[in-house]
Amino acid sequence: MSKVKIRDSVRRIEDLRFLTGTGNYIDDVVIGGEVVGVVVRSPYAHAKINGFDATDAEALDGVLAVITGAEWAAQNFGPIPTNSAVKENRDGTPISVPDRPCLASERVRYVGEAVAFVVAETLAIARQAVELVDVDYDPLPAVTHPVKALEPGAPQLHDAIEGNLCVDWELGDKDGTEKAFAAADRIITLELHNNRVTGAPIEPRGAVAYYDDASGTYTIYQSSQNIHANRNQMATILGIDKDNIHHVAPDVGGGFGAKNSVYPEPVITLYATKKVGRPVKWVNDRAESFLSDTHGRSQYSTVEMAVMNDGTFKGLRTTTIGEMGAYCGTVGAFTPTGGSARTQGGPYAFEAMYYSAKAGFTNTAPLDPYRGAGRPEGSFQIERIVELAARELDMDPVELRRKNLIPKDALPLVTSMGLDVDCGDFPTVFEKTLAMTDRAGYEARAAASQAQGKCRGFAIAPYLECTGGMPKEHAVISFDDDGSVSLAIGSHSTGMGHETSLPQILAAQLGIDIERIKFTQADTDATPLGGGHGGSRGMEMGGNAVLQTAGEVIEKGKAIAAHHFECSVDDVEFDDGAYIQPGSNNTMTMDNAINAAQDHSTLPDDLAPGCLDTGSTFERGIISIPNGCHAAEAEVDPETGAVQITGFWVVDDFGTIVNPMLADGQVMGGIGQGLGQALLEQAIYDEESGQLVTGSLIDYALPRAEDMPPMRLDYYEDSPTKKTPLGAKGAGEAGCCGAPPAIVNAVLDALKGHGVTHIEMPLTPEMVWQAVRDA
Amino acid sequence: MPTLSMTVNGEQVSGEVEGRTLLVDFLRENLRLTGTHVGCDTSQCGACVVHVDGVSMKSCTMLALHAQGTEVATIEGVANGDTLHPMQEAFRENHGLQCGFCTPGMVMTALALVKDNPDPTDAEVRHGLEGNLCRCTGYQNIVHAILDGAKAMREGAANEGES
Repeated sequence: MSKVKIRDSVRRIEDLRFLTGTGNYIDDVVIGGEVVGVVVRSPYAHAKINGFDATDAEALDGVLAVITGAEWAAQNFGPIPTNSAVKENRDGTPISVPDRPCLASERVRYVGEAVAFVVAETLAIARQAVELVDVDYDPLPAVTHPVKALEPGAPQLHDAIEGNLCVDWELGDKDGTEKAFAAADRIITLELHNNRVTGAPIEPRGAVAYYDDASGTYTIYQSSQNIHANRNQMATILGIDKDNIHHVAPDVGGGFGAKNSVYPEPVITLYATKKVGRPVKWVNDRAESFLSDTHGRSQYSTVEMAVMNDGTFKGLRTTTIGEMGAYCGTVGAFTPTGGSARTQGGPYAFEAMYYSAKAGFTNTAPLDPYRGAGRPEGSFQIERIVELAARELDMDPVELRRKNLIPKDALPLVTSMGLDVDCGDFPTVFEKTLAMTDRAGYEARAAASQAQGKCRGFAIAPYLECTGGMPKEHAVISFDDDGSVSLAIGSHSTGMGHETSLPQILAAQLGIDIERIKFTQADTDATPLGGGHGGSRGMEMGGNAVLQTAGEVIEKGKAIAAHHFECSVDDVEFDDGAYIQPGSNNTMTMDNAINAAQDHSTLPDDLAPGCLDTGSTFERGIISIPNGCHAAEAEVDPETGAVQITGFWVVDDFGTIVNPMLADGQVMGGIGQGLGQALLEQAIYDEESGQLVTGSLIDYALPRAEDMPPMRLDYYEDSPTKKTPLGAKGAGEAGCCGAPPAIVNAVLDALKGHGVTHIEMPLTPEMVWQAVRDA
Repeated sequence: MPTLSMTVNGEQVSGEVEGRTLLVDFLRENLRLTGTHVGCDTSQCGACVVHVDGVSMKSCTMLALHAQGTEVATIEGVANGDTLHPMQEAFRENHGLQCGFCTPGMVMTALALVKDNPDPTDAEVRHGLEGNLCRCTGYQNIVHAILDGAKAMREGAANEGES
C-alpha cells in the first residue's frame, strides 16, 4: 500500500494486465454465441449503384443475413450526424453538409465505403459471402485531389452541393493584416502541403453488440475513444432513445483521433444484432482500416509573412485549401478552419494575423481529427515561414526566433485569432531547450558528417497550441462496503494511463492508498456524461473533474469529523489526508472518516451510509494553452537522400504535471507520430482510379525503432494555468505540433549548402534526392 | 478436420483445425489465449509474435498445422504466477507500453532477442525490433526497457550461477 502525490511518476496499474496478455481488447470480448459481421465495401471511388443481388451470398451455408444498402434505405434511418463547431461560411450561410448513410444505396463516393454487411456463423464464411454479394455499379469520374476538386469542371460528388465546396471561412484581423503588410519591408511567401496521414492505431476498429428483446435495449462494446457522444449519435441515426443503448469501451489499442468519430459499422452492427437475434462481432482488418478509418491533415496552404529588414515580424496571412473527403466527418469542417486558425502565429508577436480557408469534397475516405487536428498544421506553417524568412533575410534562424517570441510580461493577451494566452514564458522555454542541444559540440559533429560525405543540420521550433474537445466532464466517487473506493470518469484513456493518473489525483487529494481505488472509464452506465478522449483533454478535463469531485467529498466528510470532534462543521479543516480542529488535538484521517461513513452508529443523525458518494460535473471556461519548444539535429546523405534524425530535444510547458513518466510518454509518442508525418507517412490516392495506393502497412510506412532519434525531455513548470483548478494544460498532442517543423527545418538546414529551401513532407529519400538534384 | 497437438506454455494441448487455420487463430480461438494480438494482415506489425521451439515467430504467418509437435510460448506463460518476469517488470518500470496492444509481441521479441544476445547495445535492440510496430511510445522507452530487462536477466543468471 502506498501514498502518492501529484507529480509522482507512479508506475501504471493497467500494465499488469497488458504485460501478461490479460488485457481485454475488442476482439477478445466474448458475449457467448456471437456471430461475425463483415462489411462489403465499394471497389470504386465514385459510382452509381443500380442494385444489389445477395441471393448467392444468402444461400451460402452459415450465412444469417446480408444487409444491403437497399434494405438500409428502406428503414428510413437518419444520416451520420456532423457536429462541427464551425457551422457557417464567411458570408453567414450554413456550410454544406451532405447526407451520409451508414450503408450506401444509390451512389458510392470513395473506395471502401460500406454498401452491405454480411452476418455469418464464422469469419471465414462471412468473408466468402462478401465475395458473393453482387452490387451493380456504373463507375463515375472521380476526383481525389482537394485543390482540383474545387476547380471548375471537376467531377461533382453531391448533387445539391455546388462545386464540391463544403466551407468557405475566415478568421482574424483582415484590415490590420493588410496594414501590417503595407508597412513591412518584405513579404516572405511559401506554398506548402501538409500531407494526408492516418492515425493507424495498432488495434483496428471493431464492435460487439447484442440486443435484449425483453427490455428493448442494446449493449455495444466498441473500440472507441468517445463512447457517450458515439452512443448519442448512434441513437439519433437509429431513431431510438439514447438510454436504450449501453455503450462500453473495453481496453482500446490506441486511437489518436481515428476512433473519435461515429462510424457506419457499429450502427450497422446494432441493427444486425437485433435482426439476427444473436450477438454480432465486427472487427476490421488492417486493409479495411486504411480504407475506412478517418484520415487527417491534407492541407494546401499559402503562408505569407510581413517582416521588417531587421527581422521584426509584422503580419501573418494564411490561405488554405483543406479536404473533407467524401462526406463531413463528425467534427466535419472544423479541422481545416477553426482547428487550424486558432493557433496561427505560434508563440510569436504579430501586429495582426488573418486566416482564410476553403475545404471541399473529394472521392476519398472522410477526414476528421488526427492528433492535433489543425494545430500541427498551424505550427508547421509558422515554423516553415520563419525558417524561410531567416534564409531570405540572411539571419540566424535561432536569433530571428528569439527576437520575435512573445515576452513573458506581454501575457496575458488575446491573439488576432481570439486565442486567450494566459500564461507561460516562451523565451525561457526557448533558451532552456537551446541549452540542452550541445551547440558547442555541433561544429565537430558537422565536420564528422562532412567527412563521410553527409550534411548535418539543426533546427529549433517553439510551438504554441491549445486544448479542445467537450467542455464538460463528470466524475463519480463512491465508497463500497469492502473498503474500496470506486472512481468512474467520462474521459477516456486509449493508452495514456488514466487508470493510474486519475486515481493518483484522487488518492493524493484524499490521502488514501492508491491501491484502494477501483477505476472505471468509458461506460455510459457509469457516468451520466463523458467527453471521451480528444483535444488533449485527459488531465485538463478528467483530472479537474476528479479534483473537483474529491473536493466535494472532503467537504461532505467535514460533517462526519465534526460529529466525531463534537464541534461545529465550520471549525473543521482538512489537511494532508486528515480532518483537524485547529486549536485542539482532534484529528480524523480520511480513512477513518470513510469507515465512519459506512455505519449509522458513527454518523450524525442527518447522514446515512453512502453519504460520501459524490458525482460532479466539471465545466471548462476557456481552453488551455500548452506550449513548448522542440529542437532536432539531422544528418542527410545528399547522394541517396537518406535522412537520419540524430538528436531531439524538447521542453514543454504543460502547466501542472500529474505524472511526469506518463507526460514523457505522451511527448515521445507524439514525436514518433510527428516524425512519421515528416519523414515517412502519406496516404496516397491514385488520381486516375481513386484507389488508395497506401492501403497496407507495406505501403504506408509507420516509424520503426531505428527511425527514431534519442529524445531528451524537460519541462517548464512555473506557469500552471489558472483557467482550471488543477493547472494542467494538456500534453497529448504537443509532440505532433513541434516535431514536424523541427525535423523538416533541420533537414533543410543540412541541405543549405545545396541551395534547397523547401521540400514537401514526407521527406522520403526520393523527395530529398530529387530536391537536391533540382536545386 | 485434422487434429493438432503441441505444447503451449508447458501444457500439452490438442484440437481440431482446418488446414487454413493460422497459429494465431488456434491460440486465440481454440485455446482462448487472447494475449497474442492481430494488428495487421501483412505480417508487418508483430503484435502476434510467439516463440515456436524457442524461436520468435509471427503467429499470423504460420499455419497451425506447421506447429504440430512443437513447443509454443505465448505472453500468458512469461510471468511466474503473480510475479512478473524481469523483462515484463522492465517494461513497466520504463513505461515501455501505453495502449498495450503491441506489448505482447514486443515482450516476446525482446525475450528472443536477449536469448540470442544477452548484452545488446541500443542500436542492436532497435534493429532487433524492425518487425514490431508501436504507434504510442516512440520506442525510446521500449528500447530502455529491453536494455534494463536484459541486464536484470544477466544478473539473475549470475546469481543463479553463484547459488
